[in-house]
Amino acid sequence: MDSANVRRLLLVMCILAGCGNMTNDLYPSGSNKVPPVQPGTIGPAVGQFAPDFTLSDTLGNSVTLSTAVTTTGVQGTVLYFTMWCPICDSHMSHMLSATVPGFPGVRFFAVDYVSGSAADARNAEISAGYAGTAFTVLADTQQTALNLYQATMGTTVLIDRNGVIQMNEDYKDGARLRTALTELP
Amino acid sequence: MNEHSLSFWLCAALLVGAALFTPLTAFAGSCCGGGGGVNLVLPKFYESMIDLSVDIEQYNGLWNNDGKYIDQPGYHLWQYRMNVGYAQRLTSRWQASVTVPYVWNYNGYPNKTSRSDGIGDMTLSFWYEAREDRSAWKIRSPGDLIPAVTIGPSLIIPTGISPYDGVSDSTDVTGRGFYRLDGNILLDKTIHPWSATLAMSYGTYLERPVNQEYSKFVEPYHKKLGDRTSASLSLSYIYYLGSGGDTLTGTASCSYLNEENGTIDGRQDATSGFRKETVGGAIAYSSTDHDWSFRVSWSHAVRHDGWGDNFPTTDIYTLGVRYGFR
Repeated sequence: MDSANVRRLLLVMCILAGCGNMTNDLYPSGSNKVPPVQPGTIGPAVGQFAPDFTLSDTLGNSVTLSTAVTTTGVQGTVLYFTMWCPICDSHMSHMLSATVPGFPGVRFFAVDYVSGSAADARNAEISAGYAGTAFTVLADTQQTALNLYQATMGTTVLIDRNGVIQMNEDYKDGARLRTALTELP
Repeated sequence: MNEHSLSFWLCAALLVGAALFTPLTAFAGSCCGGGGGVNLVLPKFYESMIDLSVDIEQYNGLWNNDGKYIDQPGYHLWQYRMNVGYAQRLTSRWQASVTVPYVWNYNGYPNKTSRSDGIGDMTLSFWYEAREDRSAWKIRSPGDLIPAVTIGPSLIIPTGISPYDGVSDSTDVTGRGFYRLDGNILLDKTIHPWSATLAMSYGTYLERPVNQEYSKFVEPYHKKLGDRTSASLSLSYIYYLGSGGDTLTGTASCSYLNEENGTIDGRQDATSGFRKETVGGAIAYSSTDHDWSFRVSWSHAVRHDGWGDNFPTTDIYTLGVRYGFR
């Protein structure tokens, strides 16, 4: 390749490298940029009080988060946001086998934010093989919980018995969830 | 056989081989995002080449972690990719190529629709033509059965929009966010009018720090995706159109793709590995002088248990055109 072509190629790569959001991947940062939160406020960040919501589960029962969190005997509450995709299935399957058995005092909710009704969510739950498991599937048909927790596919939220968020991030391999569950107050 | 005839068969074979690479490097349906690039191999006796192709990927459900196929009626997910590629000969045996995809995601769930677009992950490749196919017409000795061998590394550059960029919705991603280094080998043997191609690749992702997920800052950690193995076997038949030199090449193929579990802070992430097996077909038209060629291909993921694990089940339709400069 002559030098002119090399220059053209480098120019194209430099232009692309300067575009939009891609710099985070081209030059990834490992610095901690988690913003501090004001204790006692309500919001989706770790350390804040969990925003409340009421959703229907797939059997038509109404579930209010604040009630579920403060139910006697419940040490913690996990919300897992699912769109029934392959990685969602992998996460939920892994959670059932690697986490649920070790924490009997914790409630696990799968928040389905893509189904249009509780009946649709029930069909998705059955089709994916999660009917009758430790997950109670909530139909977030208005994406209320999704927006309140700034969640997306795979987001995992842990709320302690005082209603304080202890974790709000992607499930990944589940290790951080297990650590956070172990450290519940 | 004269040099020109040999170049024709190598052109045809490499055209087929390059077409087969598409489903190997493309990644997933729009639900789990990502426009991987396409490898581009320059035929013998060409100085450079431009390639333009459009992939249409349709989501048809998924294979779960146990390899069970799950249909998802009501999910209408599409990903379109326009791939622009350029290959340049460096020496008589070495060549380089770059391919940049532009990705459009269209996601229709029963309760959620979204559209997004952006550049996908770029592929930069180098190829070394280690051995030519010396007898594409007639087998006179066992040595004539030795295929053409082309080898080389490629680098996936994370120019796409990944979960670790400033994007808040998982359906908006167009790349995976990791550099990947691949070793590739392309074996090709033509015995007129048949041609067989075996393309194999092994890749490893580079570990990277992560401090945000979908625009949300998190406690930093290090992540590495799992090593990736892919292979594609194809058989082609080259048919002359009329009395001129125009040709039509029909190809049937099968492909295998496996990605091992990745790691989080050095621990194995048991949720991340996947596998996919596909079958495919392609038809390529080449002009008499072989400078122009057009192709249509179809990569089909079989919607039955056992053909994949932890991966979307998709069909990929590709339309492509390329022009070679001698």
